[in-house]
Amino acid sequence: MNTKVKHWLEDETIDIFLGYKIVDGHPLPHCFTKERIEELEDLIVGQARYSLEKIATHITTVNPDIKIGMLARDCNQRALNVLFIWNQLNPENIETININCCPSNLKEHGDCSYLEPETAGVYKKQVGVDNNLQPEDVEKHDQPQRLTRWMYEFQKCIKCYGCRNICPVCFCTECSLEHKELVDPGTLPPEIPIFHLVRAVHMAGRCIDCGLCEDACPVDIPLRLLYRKVNEIVVNVFDYQTGASAQQSPFNILGDTVTLEPKPLESVETQN
Amino acid sequence: MQCKIVPSVCSYCGTGCGILFEVIDGKINSTLPLKTHPVNEGKLCIKGWNLHEHVNSFMRLKKPLVKTSGRFITTEWDEAIGLTADRFSEIIQKYGPDSVGVLVSAKLTNEENYLAQKFARAVIGTNNVDHCARL
Ligand code: SF4
Ligand code: SF4
Ligand code: SF4
Ligand code: SF4
Repeated sequence: MNTKVKHWLEDETIDIFLGYKIVDGHPLPHCFTKERIEELEDLIVGQARYSLEKIATHITTVNPDIKIGMLARDCNQRALNVLFIWNQLNPENIETININCCPSNLKEHGDCSYLEPETAGVYKKQVGVDNNLQPEDVEKHDQPQRLTRWMYEFQKCIKCYGCRNICPVCFCTECSLEHKELVDPGTLPPEIPIFHLVRAVHMAGRCIDCGLCEDACPVDIPLRLLYRKVNEIVVNVFDYQTGASAQQSPFNILGDTVTLEPKPLESVETQN
Repeated sequence: MQCKIVPSVCSYCGTGCGILFEVIDGKINSTLPLKTHPVNEGKLCIKGWNLHEHVNSFMRLKKPLVKTSGRFITTEWDEAIGLTADRFSEIIQKYGPDSVGVLVSAKLTNEENYLAQKFARAVIGTNNVDHCARL
């Protein structure tokens, strides 16, 4: 890993490399450069997971032509695919070193939907919600019960916008969650359920199930479960696995072809 | 092109959440929660998430202002501190040290709060020390 990055930096395949380094005892994202190549000795995979691709988009905004290398867990790779589709990053300017999920030797211990995990990742502290809840788990309960529970969860919201801020695929310059016509400003909790549902709708075909939003939510709202449900519908209706590739998304209206094409009707599951 | 991730502590309240500043080309671009910090464990409130905005705000005062003939005039620290010391001495001489009070804040560090009470007791000579949370 270190040798490869070193080569990349030296032969100018990349200008900077985003990885992790221990600073004051904390594994922090770190930007490695050719000028300080000796720092590469400290390059680690990092036990805490940050959205390096979000940092990359911020760097790209300031410096559009910069070539960035980064460590990429599965979730980072999926997020990159979505960012390529939505023209937030140019695939030609990004190189990745693919690493294991939520650092574990075994991928089964990874913590996201594409890996069908049995238990939560070892490094993930489980507080409040079960981070691996699947829509089927809660659909055992009847509808009024689910509604009550969701409203209970939503009213805990302190409107910190952490879920949006930390999300690798939330990049809008004007966010609907701050739009006063949609979400009445100045009240706590924010208008529910609309605040959470607006975001949930936006996550259709965009959320790559990294779980960072749920990690960042101070009041443990099972946000990931909500977006899993939304994307289950996306899979059923459009046969589209968000982030699985950098192929155009059915939700992307830019480009030459209109792609909002549902799956043939007979295969749409009419479950709800 | 320079990009640094700088760990720090939120200065907005006494909780002291761990944060990371994303600094691109010398400008604080955004704030992130420090995921391994024992206090906040990767979470922040809305104030913490927006720390960079108050650093970058055009309304931020970067130099002391002294009110002269009803108008605020920009000055240097030495002059501003000198002026404040002179006025304090005058007031203390005329009305006694208990005419002065010192308000500390959760936005300061423990050490700064310690220094502030030391300043009140040892320099000014008063026990009038209180905290902004009681205002
Ligand atoms: S899991 Fe949360 S943070 Fe991750 S992509 Fe989905 S909405 Fe964004
Ligand atoms: S919540 Fe919606 S509008 Fe806001 S940044 Fe995310 S996708 Fe954009
Ligand atoms: S992170 Fe949680 S508390 Fe903060 S705005 Fe999102 S849902 Fe609300
Ligand atoms: S992030 Fe919020 S709770 Fe944490 S120290 Fe800052 S103001 Fe206080």
